[in-house]
Amino acid sequence: MEQAVGIAVEGVHKEFGSVKALADVSIAVRAGEFLSIIGPSGCGKTTLLKIIAGLLPAESGRVVVGARTVKGPGPECSMVFQDFALLPWATVKQNVEFGARLRGIPALERAERAQRAIAKVGLAGTFEGAYPAQLSGGMQQRVGLARALAVNPQVLLMDEPFASIDEQTRRVLQDDLLGVWSDERKTVVLVTHSMEEAVYLSDRVVVLSPRPGKVHRVLDVPLPRPRQSGEVRASAAFARLVDDVWQILRKLQ
Amino acid sequence: MTFEPAPQSGLGKVEALALVALLATWEIVGRADISMFLPPVSQVAGAWWGLVADGTLFGAGASSLAALLKGYFLAALLGVVLGLGMGRFSAVRYFFDSWVNAMMSAPLSALVPVLIALFGIRGTVVTATVFLFAFFVIVVNTLTGVRGTERSLVEMARSFGAGEAELFLRVYLPSALPAVMLGLRLGAVQAVKGMVVGEMLISLVGLGERLVYYGNTFLIHELYAVILSVLIVAIVGSQLVQWSERVLVRWK
Repeated sequence: MEQAVGIAVEGVHKEFGSVKALADVSIAVRAGEFLSIIGPSGCGKTTLLKIIAGLLPAESGRVVVGARTVKGPGPECSMVFQDFALLPWATVKQNVEFGARLRGIPALERAERAQRAIAKVGLAGTFEGAYPAQLSGGMQQRVGLARALAVNPQVLLMDEPFASIDEQTRRVLQDDLLGVWSDERKTVVLVTHSMEEAVYLSDRVVVLSPRPGKVHRVLDVPLPRPRQSGEVRASAAFARLVDDVWQILRKLQ
Repeated sequence: MTFEPAPQSGLGKVEALALVALLATWEIVGRADISMFLPPVSQVAGAWWGLVADGTLFGAGASSLAALLKGYFLAALLGVVLGLGMGRFSAVRYFFDSWVNAMMSAPLSALVPVLIALFGIRGTVVTATVFLFAFFVIVVNTLTGVRGTERSLVEMARSFGAGEAELFLRVYLPSALPAVMLGLRLGAVQAVKGMVVGEMLISLVGLGERLVYYGNTFLIHELYAVILSVLIVAIVGSQLVQWSERVLVRWK
């Protein structure tokens, strides 16, 4: 497996017309780190993620992923989307292979990787021939995650991946994501509006302030890993950290 | 992959029942002898068989179908191409938008004399009329389909490095396919309309010419027989497109 890489966001500005979306945002994501970005709506967190992904250009400043200065979507990153972004006309298997196909990975290896990714996200066996519309939201996002993993990225960029999924399923998915992450040690940047999610998953939480989006605070999350046991969620330390984030966010509203 | 046929519900039976009821009503009203313009369906069927037997329907039908198929396939091909272009490139859209909109709402029959002036009184006019009637609805539906492509799918494909050609082939095109097929179906119905209108106006060839002739000579049974034949052509055409739609758009 390829080595995880870090991400340097340096002095990024972004404007939409006359609206300043991001002002002088700098974040250094360490290789193999799980970092969350949280902030009030309109703080530009999704915009920032898209700039890191190379889907949006920044007005000034730069983003470096590994050794590459981002000018467009690159091979190190793959993305997981809030609305899953699955092709409705393609089966689960075809969807999982889609990213790898676009990256030009030959058919045989592609099928093999897809198989592995499908197994990794717990979809093996029954669902591979199904169409997305036949799956629940949680299942659909597993497909989205498998598609991202099938290109064997060094960086996973996740845009509120569990926002539209019910709470019980979301917790299972969060644990499964932690499982995948600890197996593969990818660098993860996750945008979320859930304080619990940010604290539960992350090594660090970046709080953005709105209009224009700026880095307001960076919090360390010194909770022990692995966290999937259930004890972490019930711990006083977890509650205190979530409350810390809330106190910061409350003043920003 | 296995393809399950649509479950046969009671709907087929209800449709058959409705058809029988319609034919029965027609027969009863016809036998009541209210008007010479309302003959019973059994006599129309007899006249239809007569037209089949003496080759009239096949002769006229063959000429009509040839024009229909030529005009329709040309409209389908060029309509989908223009619709895709307009959907994908705003410059193309701005250029053609007002033309297409004007033609969508224009009474197209009024343009047939122009076509006659252009092509002369020949079968080509019918092909051109079919094309004219079917083309715009295919363009507009294709355009709408491309424009309705989910932005997040485009973004997803780009994030995996898709270029313009791949975006088009793997995202826009399949995403627009249901709308394209709807346009082709509506276009098929329009094409039959165009065929009849064109043939009636030039009064020279095909089923449309027979309609005019039987209408003018008060051969009412034969008139109805031809009308039914046209209906059958329209229904069969539309069903054919619908069938290919089901094969192509399995995921819905």
